[in-house]
Amino acid sequence: MAVCVAVIGKDNSPLYIGGTGNDTSTDNELSRQWLVHTALDALEERLASTNNTNLNSSANASRTELRDLYLGLLYSTDTHKIYGYVTNTRIKLVLVTSSTSPSGSNIRDAEVRTALRRLHALYADAICNPFHLPGDQITSTKFDKQVKSLIMNNV
Amino acid sequence: MATQPSDNTEFPPEIILKPLALIGLSGLDTVNNAIHKAIWDAFSNNRRPDRAAVRFKLLNNTFEFPVVKPKRNSYEWYIPKGILKKNWITKRVSLIPAVVVIFYDMEWNDPQWNEKIIECASRVQSIRAAVEGHATRVAVVVVQSGLSPPPSEYMLGAERAQALCSACEIQSKSLFVLPHSDHLMGYIIRLENAFYDIAQNYYHHETKNIKQHRDHLNKTTHQYLFVRHQFKLGFLNELKQDISTAHKHYMHAYNNLLDTRQVDTNVHEIRTVSGYINYKLCKLLFALNLPRDAIAQVKSHIDRYKNRIGPTELLFEHYAWIARQYSAFGELFDEAIRLGLPAIQSQHPGFYYQYAAQFTVKRRQAMRSVCCDASHYPPAPDPMEGIVEFYGQRPWRPGRLSADPHDPQKEQAAVLALQYNERIFNHSAMIISFLGSAISQFKTFHSPRMRKQLVVEMANEYYFCADYGKALTLLSHMLWDYRKEKWWFLASHVLNRALQCAYLSAKIQDYIQLSVEALSKHIQVPNNDKDRIFRNIMAVLNMNIPSPEPNLPPSSQSKALEMWQLAIDKEPLTVAIDMINIASFLEVKTKFKQQKYRMDDTIEVELFVRLTYNTTLEVKSASMTISTNTETIDISITDEGRTTLKLIGGEVKRFLCQFKASPHDNGSEMKIKSVSFVLDSDRRKIVMNFKIDEIKNVEPTVHPELLHFILSPKTDYEFDCIMPLTTTSITSRECRLSLDIKNAVPALQGEWFPTTFTVINHEDGPVHDMSIVLSLLSSPDNPNPESVTELGFTHGEPEAQPIKLCVGDVSKSSSYSNTFYLKTNRTATTTVQIKVMYTINAYETPQLECSKEFTTKITVIKPFEVSTSFVSMNFKPITKCYVDDPFIVMPQIKILSPWNLVILDTELETVESFRYADNKKPQSCISNLRVAEKNVASDAICIQAKYKPKEVAPRVGLYNISWHRESNTDGHCVMSTTALSALPIDECPITVEVNYPEVVDLQTSVPLKCTLIGKTNTPIRLSLSVEGTDAYMFSGYKKFSITVPPRDKVELCYNIHPLVAGNTIPPRLKATVLGDTSRQEVVKEMFEKIFPQNIFVMPKYNK
Repeated sequence: MAVCVAVIGKDNSPLYIGGTGNDTSTDNELSRQWLVHTALDALEERLASTNNTNLNSSANASRTELRDLYLGLLYSTDTHKIYGYVTNTRIKLVLVTSSTSPSGSNIRDAEVRTALRRLHALYADAICNPFHLPGDQITSTKFDKQVKSLIMNNV
Repeated sequence: MATQPSDNTEFPPEIILKPLALIGLSGLDTVNNAIHKAIWDAFSNNRRPDRAAVRFKLLNNTFEFPVVKPKRNSYEWYIPKGILKKNWITKRVSLIPAVVVIFYDMEWNDPQWNEKIIECASRVQSIRAAVEGHATRVAVVVVQSGLSPPPSEYMLGAERAQALCSACEIQSKSLFVLPHSDHLMGYIIRLENAFYDIAQNYYHHETKNIKQHRDHLNKTTHQYLFVRHQFKLGFLNELKQDISTAHKHYMHAYNNLLDTRQVDTNVHEIRTVSGYINYKLCKLLFALNLPRDAIAQVKSHIDRYKNRIGPTELLFEHYAWIARQYSAFGELFDEAIRLGLPAIQSQHPGFYYQYAAQFTVKRRQAMRSVCCDASHYPPAPDPMEGIVEFYGQRPWRPGRLSADPHDPQKEQAAVLALQYNERIFNHSAMIISFLGSAISQFKTFHSPRMRKQLVVEMANEYYFCADYGKALTLLSHMLWDYRKEKWWFLASHVLNRALQCAYLSAKIQDYIQLSVEALSKHIQVPNNDKDRIFRNIMAVLNMNIPSPEPNLPPSSQSKALEMWQLAIDKEPLTVAIDMINIASFLEVKTKFKQQKYRMDDTIEVELFVRLTYNTTLEVKSASMTISTNTETIDISITDEGRTTLKLIGGEVKRFLCQFKASPHDNGSEMKIKSVSFVLDSDRRKIVMNFKIDEIKNVEPTVHPELLHFILSPKTDYEFDCIMPLTTTSITSRECRLSLDIKNAVPALQGEWFPTTFTVINHEDGPVHDMSIVLSLLSSPDNPNPESVTELGFTHGEPEAQPIKLCVGDVSKSSSYSNTFYLKTNRTATTTVQIKVMYTINAYETPQLECSKEFTTKITVIKPFEVSTSFVSMNFKPITKCYVDDPFIVMPQIKILSPWNLVILDTELETVESFRYADNKKPQSCISNLRVAEKNVASDAICIQAKYKPKEVAPRVGLYNISWHRESNTDGHCVMSTTALSALPIDECPITVEVNYPEVVDLQTSVPLKCTLIGKTNTPIRLSLSVEGTDAYMFSGYKKFSITVPPRDKVELCYNIHPLVAGNTIPPRLKATVLGDTSRQEVVKEMFEKIFPQNIFVMPKYNK
């Protein structure tokens, strides 16, 4: 079971951080935000390295062979596993699973990939809203609901 | 490396040290004997890694070897009291040498040889007696001067060495000779390696001994011994430097320990020993370059022991132990990296230090839950006193194996003692130290955000141990980054903690700054109590002590209050806050109304201020700093004349600043540097300073065009739509002069073309010191105009460009005019720039400099075009001429000028190879000729070639035309020169003259005289024939030969009689050169040219 998902803007500011459970206590929210925020380190490192390899290989090859948006497992701690996904506009999607719960630790890579793709689609839908200001935090309740159900059902 | 504060979980040094084979050196008197001292230094100093893995120990005469325990023949009744004895390793690494080396000074040819050999043997014997029971090897080194003995004594050395071996009862390979004269270090290293070999042999022998015990053991009673023996095997192999075998044995020991039954009484021992073995395993795995295996080992190790908690009242010991496992591994990992192991962002020592810190936090939590009652140390007897023989055993019940406590009271006292010790332990210091190690690792491995989180945790630790100053420093650094990346939730967390620290340490500057930031709409504060924070700011401003932050540790509150009482009416009395770098409740946008201002314009700056916090803020004064190249000015901001500004929460206020630019700022940029707002009580000031110019040129985060859709208060919308404009450029004042140009364009190439310009003063007053600069501007079709164009203020007198003309004062509404002349040789558009500069006394700025640039374009065209044709004397076009054969040059002047011209005179300047056919220079045919556009004036000049030039003549000559405009009557004329095209010149050996008439009458005889003139110095023989026609009769020689004498002539006379009227072909004379045929062609052409092709015969009228 995913513990939390996050959408992070291209300037690394958080656009949406959503977690499971009704527990909105500050400590829980804080640890969640720490987790996602520190995951940016790994994300940036990953992006920098892929950029470098793209630069090294010929420009044509990089253009034809599009980068996979799904970055896979960024890192795992004793308690959590953190997966990353970067859209072409550098919007970063992060999914955190718990490695202590059985459903979280046995999760398959393909499932995470699908979940993140769906999150990407949901995000695209959410920002298509003309009343949404790009770069602002996503406050749509519909998006929130959909993401919560994504966390619960899919993973 | 061991920077962490010590506690009882620390590894003993003998576990951490790398085991080295121990070699004892005896018989060296390092105090009195310089040679011995040198030998000892060579052994013991400068132990680089490439030298053998041995440790030398100097044995003096009183050294005592440990007593050997009696050999056990059977383990049947033996029950071990613990797993690992504490003194075993120490014995191996520092007490029982693998080899004892006896040094003895002796020369082979020593005169007292017999005495010496006896003394040496006795020394060996005494060492043998001392090590009795140990398998320690003995070797002898004979120290010699190294002077080579005479050859006759070679045999003596071998013999005596043999004798020494047998006397000392050692093998010959255990006897060494050390010459100490030179190359001492080389000998030492060779000796060292030899000793190392012997030591390895010794340790191998020891392992064999231990292996023999195994058969006697059984699993039920001797489980501890399985562990102990395997550990010993591992350690001996390590001494032997056989690390893969050592690893194998340690692994066996580790697995055997896992199989041991664990109860509450032995849990501490098992976990201690397992920690040591695990440490050894990981260290060896790193040494074997298997870092992944090392990481896997430590992970599985923790997993296995994670749930072996032991008695709950000592839960903190469990966490302390885990933390130590992690930190020890982190140190090992770190050391491996320093030795060259590469590490990556997702796997480096920092994680293990972080875990260590986390488990220390858990340890503290456990302490808090289980040690509440341990308020005092138990009364004597101290349960912690007592000597423990085995690692990890408790001092109050050493060597006890039974599962149930034998003495419940003693046990309880002991637990109390442990709990009390734990309670007074400084956990924070340990956590901070672990975090510090972790932070430096995360920094190395590109994890800035992880590092930040740890720094915040570290700051929290400082907060818990009441070191608020340090905590505040750390937090305020971290706040910056969270703010920059807009992680407001985390920023709020950090900020609130920092605010608590600032309060508790009574730091006014930080307290005010953090409070101002806390009022930002992005920051969440506990209980959403921003009013309290605002009141606190106001309180500090008015020299009152602010109310405390919520959730402060009660122990520090009273102290904080004292500090506030001391600090409140002291410095800093002016608190300056850099508002651009923090999020705050004030937002400012500044805007120049125009992107450009003239010098005499009033510059207007609009200032918009939005107060996002819902209150009314009275700003005592506000000012704006504006900088130019030369100066920085402060302008105070007023609200309809009042200096006190009143800002209302949620509203946008607009202020307008007006000022004049200083005269020095002409042409420079003007920038808004900062805007500051001052909150002022009588005694303290808070200056909120917005450094506008430090806002980086980031993309605007708000896109006004998108805001139309957003539901927001109107003031917000307006504020968000304002695009700041913080720079403007100052240009010179608009010039109110006009320029009038009068000239007759197009100008003609080569003429001095006059242009009259008139500067008219439209200013409100007189202008002073006017000066005019004329210059030529280059353009793509006319580059470098100054090289082909001349300018001047008088006709025909060019001046150096640019030409400056000082005019002086011009009074109001009057004008100044002048004429300049321009002569150019390029037919293109010439651009002339006329720059007018002057000063004017405007009412507010005297001596204001103004300038204006005017340009005028002058098209230059050719006045005419000259083409040339060449004709023979009978006006037939010719393509070449002959020497001394006159012909006519006909220049044709086609007029292109739109203006009427007068051609005054023309002249042909022939080149060297031509001359005029007449004796004197002929009069021009077209002098004083008036011509208009598209007219063609034809001239004709008769010239002849003087000689045939060596190379082809370039042209016939230069054709000069003097002309002027018809309108121009002042006598200045222009001389234009054109080069005429070339005509090839040929030489003919003879010339022919014949007086053929153009027209003859029918039936009328015409006498013809044909003269042949020789041009060369040799006579020419010609064969002549007359080509008769039916239209004529003629008389004379028809075919004959003739010799033309040199430089002389021959005359031939004919009569022709035309028979028919009309165009007729007359009889023609043809010539063939006899002899030299090379000139045949030329002569033939000459005859062809001279004799006409046809003659018109007039019919006769019958009257």
